Order: sequence, then C-alpha cells, then structure tokens
Amino acid sequence: MTPTNPKVVLEAADICVTFGGLKAVDGVSFSLHQGEIVGLIGPNGAGKTTLFNALVGLQKLSGGAVRLDGETVSGLKPHRIATRGMTKTFQNAALFPDMSVLENVTTAALLRHDLKGARAKATEVLARLDLSPIADADVADLTFPQKAMVEMARALATEPRVVLLDEVMAALTPSEMDEVMDVIRALKGEGLTFLVVEHHMRAIMALCDRLIAVNFGRLIAAGTPAEVASHPTVIEAYLGHGAAGQEGSHA
Amino acid sequence: MRFALKPGHVVLLLFFIAAALLPLFVDPRGHLLRVAAMALLFAAMAQSWNIVGGLANQISLGHAAFFGLGAYTSTLLFLRLGISPWIGMLAGAMVAGIAAALLSVPTFRLKGHYFALATLAFAEVLRVIANSWADLSGGPVGLTVPFLGTQPLSFAFRAVSSYYWIILALLVIVCVVFYVLAHGAMGYRLRAVRENEAAAEVAGVNTFRVKLVASVISAALTAMCGTVFAQFTFFFDPDSIFSLSGISVRMAMIAIVGGLGTLGGPIIGALFLIPLEEVANAYLSSRAAGLSQLVFGLILIAAILIQPRGIMAFFPKSRVKTPPKAQPATEGARG
Repeated sequence: MTPTNPKVVLEAADICVTFGGLKAVDGVSFSLHQGEIVGLIGPNGAGKTTLFNALVGLQKLSGGAVRLDGETVSGLKPHRIATRGMTKTFQNAALFPDMSVLENVTTAALLRHDLKGARAKATEVLARLDLSPIADADVADLTFPQKAMVEMARALATEPRVVLLDEVMAALTPSEMDEVMDVIRALKGEGLTFLVVEHHMRAIMALCDRLIAVNFGRLIAAGTPAEVASHPTVIEAYLGHGAAGQEGSHA
Repeated sequence: MRFALKPGHVVLLLFFIAAALLPLFVDPRGHLLRVAAMALLFAAMAQSWNIVGGLANQISLGHAAFFGLGAYTSTLLFLRLGISPWIGMLAGAMVAGIAAALLSVPTFRLKGHYFALATLAFAEVLRVIANSWADLSGGPVGLTVPFLGTQPLSFAFRAVSSYYWIILALLVIVCVVFYVLAHGAMGYRLRAVRENEAAAEVAGVNTFRVKLVASVISAALTAMCGTVFAQFTFFFDPDSIFSLSGISVRMAMIAIVGGLGTLGGPIIGALFLIPLEEVANAYLSSRAAGLSQLVFGLILIAAILIQPRGIMAFFPKSRVKTPPKAQPATEGARG
C-alpha cells in the first residue's frame, strides 16, 4: 500500500463463487488502495480468473460483496461496473476479431465519449502504449504479445480507476516485459490501481507493492512480495502440485 | 474524410439511379416491373433483417411476425377506421417495435439456434392467432385492400410504377438507416456484441440495450415493408403474411446469400434470388409438383457451399484497410 494515499478503492468482502457443488472462490476478502499494484498469485485452477470475473460482474457471486469506493457494485452488469471505473483484460486476448486495432479500442472509449471523441481517446491510448504503428491493422494479423497490449489499450480506453490485468505479459520477452511494466508504473503514478495475475514471478516481484495468494478458491497469504513468496503455505501450494522445478521458477 | 464515397457506394448510387429509371423503359403494367418491385421489396426486407441478423449476428427466423404486424395494422386501421395506410404504416412500425421490445426480454439471453427457434415460434404464434381470432383479423380468409384507383393520400395507385417507386424509396431509407447504424457508434457496439459479448460488456458496452435498439429498429422497418406489401398486392392471409418459408426464411436467406452484415448484400441477394425463383416457377412448376422449389433449394445450397460469406465476398472489401504486412508495424510495437 502506498503510504501517501491509503484510500481504499476496491474492496472484496467474503466473495464466494460456486459452480454446482464446487466452490471456485470461497470467502476471499481483500482491499486495494488507490495507486497500488497488487499481484494475485496461485497455482493453475486456484480460482484467479474466476475471481477476476466475479469482480467485474461477468460471474455472479453466490456470496459476499464487491465495493468500489465504498459502493456495492456486485450484482451490476459488467458495463455498469466499467462505468463505475473497473474493467479487466482477458487472459486469451478476447479482442473483436473483425475490427481493426483502432476500432477495438474506440469501442471501449465510446463508454465516455461520442464517436469522434472516442476515436481521439483511442488514438491517444494507442500512442501511450506505443501501438500507433499498428492502429489500422486487423487484430487477426497481430502477434500474441501485440494482442495482449491491445487488450490493455482497450481496458484503458474505458478510463478506469481499477484495472484487472489477466496475464498481459504471458508471451513477452524480458525486455518487452520491462516496457510494459514501465507503462503500468507510469499509470500507477497517475492514480490507477492494478490487480495483476501473472505467471512470471520476476515480473510479479518487480512490479507489485503487495501480493495476495490463493489456492482452492481460498486466500492463503497476503503481504509484501517477499513475505508471500516465502510463506510456507504458498510454497506448499506450488510444490503440492508436483511441479516444483517448473512452477518454482514461474510461480 | 471518414465518410468519403467509396467505390462500393458509387456502385450502389448508380444502382439506385438505374432502378429509378427502369419503369420508363419497360411496360408500366407488365409482369417484369412487378417482379422488379417484388425484388426491391424483398431487398428492403432483407436489409431490415440484416440490422439484427448481420450487424448483431442474431439470426432471427421470425421476422414474418413484424412483416405481418405491419400489414395487419395498416390494413385493419384502413378497413375499420378509414385511417390512411400511410399513417397505418407508421402505426404498424410502432406496433412491431413494441412487439420486438417485448420479445427481446425473454429471447436475448438466447444464442444461435435457440434464438432462431424462439423467434420462429413467435411468428407461428401470431399466425395461429390471426387464423383463429377472426373477429379482429378476418381469420383464414385473409384481408383484401379495396381497389380505389389512384388516390395517393390513401396509398392507392393504378400504375405498378407508382408502387415500384415507393418500394424503391423505402429500400433507400432502409439502406440509409443500415449505413448510419453500421458506421456510427451503434455500429461499433453491435459489431463488438457480435464478436465477443463478454468482452463487449467488460469494455463498457450495454449489450442488452444495443441488441434491443437494433431489434426494435429492424422490426419497425420490416413492418413498413409489410404495409407496402399489403397495398401493393391488395390481398394477404395469415398463412402467407406470417409464412415461415415465404417470409421469415426468405428474408434471412437473401441477406445470407448476398452477404451477411454488408450494405450491398441484401440487394444483390434479392436481385439474384427473387428473379431466380420467378424463372424456376415459370419453367418448372408445370413439369412436376414441387420441382421448382427443389431446383431453387439446390441452387441455394450450392450458393452457400460455394461462398458461405455471400456474393459480396466476391467483391473487394469495401472497408479501407491498411495492409498490416506492408508497414514496419511489428517492430515498432513490441513484438
């Protein structure tokens, strides 16, 4: 948490998501403070993406509440939550395939602008993320890392205060990752708050102010990156999957 | 500028001019002009359908419901209350728009086949009601629009060419509405809904409202086509006006064969299919019962197999598109 600004923007209170009898998210509570970058870690199937979907309204809660700036947003449709200032990127780049990059981003900018203003906003966001050269490209022609960046541009075009990033750095080279992290830090400097799912432990450790660890839908640890990474329960969660060598380097 | 004329639009403009001049060169009472008028009317219907079916990719098989509501509303208002069918056309559009809005509530969570079946059922329900509620609808014998000679205020004309021009004007209106919807903010949202509904929601698109608006506009325009059809043909009954194969499927078919979601698709589709059907009927219906439908069906299947994206796919893409390979985009932008 940033000591200068302790204001809570996002609060998850005892969130539960149940699929049939399976508790995919089981009583998770945490808060994000404005201008914070918080990492959400946990082994595959721990419930990270389900938790993201629950936060932005794509997944109905079976219990608990999500509050943005103290107001309950759980139960609202995703576009209402986007209007209130929270959106997310999709893990596997869910772009609009028949649209150009600029059109994809413009669609999101329409949330707060008319068409002309939305195009200007989208152009601005693309420039910010160094994507201007591919503005007119069809998303079908993009590489995977480019798609992930366009995902992020689309999220930013809604002018959010809280952004949930679901593995935007998945296929990036280390130097590309550094560039993306610089952008995220710059946005944090402007007051944006991030919750980040990422499998690269190096990126998570370098980027995040705090970490939250989940397993089997439950919160198992929270604290500074160093604390959480060395937390016995967290280590056990990863080793318990029998992939210590592979997972150890990747989180 | 963004809305500069593109080659496709010039072609379309030339087509409208040529179509407007056609009655001057053919027999104004002849069969050819009637077929041409019908082809243009079906183009307008398919274009109305295209707003929901093409832009939002909600394949409706029940648009005959709105078509029939338009025909019944204007004709009943005229027969019972003497209200001009011009006003009846607007009333029909309103009735159909309200029906579409009501239908949206239960059906918009449905996708694909389920949506198609729900809309199909809606049209069938209206057909059954029109057949059985004879006090209101006139029942299975149908309704006849009285022949009044030429009375423009009552939407009545002696010459086929008058109807032809009205139908052409309606087609132009529907095409303009489609174009404005497709290229405005609404078009972005509709395409987003079509391509990834969850992502559209998270990006701030009110997907329900977008589909609702598109569906109401589509239904209202379809109803206007229904009124024009009733005035033009002077007679309709529940089974023909709410027909699944004759209206609902044909509207979808024309748009799909022409090119789903494109401005030119419904026009090309109608100009291809309606005359084809006419020819198949003229030459084959006397040989064996059902032969013309069989041949027509086989041609449709072949058309879809040869080019699933419709006839429009044979033309160069009308959208201005920078070839992404031709610029050094990829180095410039990470990756």
